[in-house]
Amino acid sequence: MGRLLLWVGVVLVPLTTLILLLKWKIETMAERYRLPSGQLPSAKGMLMFLLPLPVLFAAITSLARGQLLNLLGDAAGYGLFLGGALLLRRGLLLAVDYDRRRVAKAPLPFKTLGCGVIALATGVTAWLGAGQNPLVAVAFGLAALLGCYLSYGFDPRTAKRFTDRDGVDVTDRVLEALTQAENSIAAIEQASRDIRNTELNNRLRRITALARQILKLLEEDPRDLRRARKFLNVYLDGAKQVVEGYAKTHARVSTPELEDNFRRVLSTIEDVFQEQQQKLLETDVTDLDVQIEVLATQLKREGVV
Amino acid sequence: MPDFLRKLIGLLLIFATVGVASCQALVASCSSSSASAPTVLTPRG
Repeated sequence: MGRLLLWVGVVLVPLTTLILLLKWKIETMAERYRLPSGQLPSAKGMLMFLLPLPVLFAAITSLARGQLLNLLGDAAGYGLFLGGALLLRRGLLLAVDYDRRRVAKAPLPFKTLGCGVIALATGVTAWLGAGQNPLVAVAFGLAALLGCYLSYGFDPRTAKRFTDRDGVDVTDRVLEALTQAENSIAAIEQASRDIRNTELNNRLRRITALARQILKLLEEDPRDLRRARKFLNVYLDGAKQVVEGYAKTHARVSTPELEDNFRRVLSTIEDVFQEQQQKLLETDVTDLDVQIEVLATQLKREGVV
Repeated sequence: MPDFLRKLIGLLLIFATVGVASCQALVASCSSSSASAPTVLTPRG
């Protein structure tokens, strides 16, 4: 009975730790990438966390049986698998971000690196864990690398550049503006954690969600950046300063007048952000209307319609 | 090669390498322990 309990403990403790680690990692990623509400974080690359789990159990078995060499082989293999899976997942998320944007720098090669580490882990596990011939283990590693490449692909290498109407490359300027805006939103979120008022927190959450939606529109079509310059330079930055200021003052002094004023400012900010979002969406509709009109005129001229 | 086929072959290769190597490591650790246990437990002489 004691032995059974020991076994259950030996299996359950690392398993629970792993699940908690994965949960924390997913939450951190979800926080960072702020997906729209109701949408779960992508499950891309999760296979690489699940498939090597037998190696973890093998390491636990070796530990329980006191087989040092097997334990070292399995632990090294599992550690490499875990590292490779984390790198691969990070690379996949960066690739999704790269695909979504119209302007982006080439992402760091996390995906390629992850595939390489997973191939190495497969070779090490086959050699030291499963006791295969070193040449067979190398074949295992190479086949795993090929599998990763076919399944996930390697990282994009070229930047998506953007030129304005005058033909000037403004990629760096666009990326800088977007990063700065993203930092301002993160600062608002950070400051809102120090404000202990549910109603104000909900308002701030709505404001940051709106700001992210606007940024997403700008990322999808950086031509709108010129129209949204006021939003980026004045409103977003102003909102950040006001929220940070209130969070600091609120901790020391809390008066109903101050709270009312802050509530009023937040309400104005929310209205302005909604207006900005509406303007960007309307521009898209206007652009589409113009395109349809041009096409209809062309078709009429050609005698098709 | 179509995208779907490429991904399918990739997944099969991953299962055939990572999955097989992992399961082999587990089997090896279990079988070597069960094989070594009797030699340890068998009384000498």
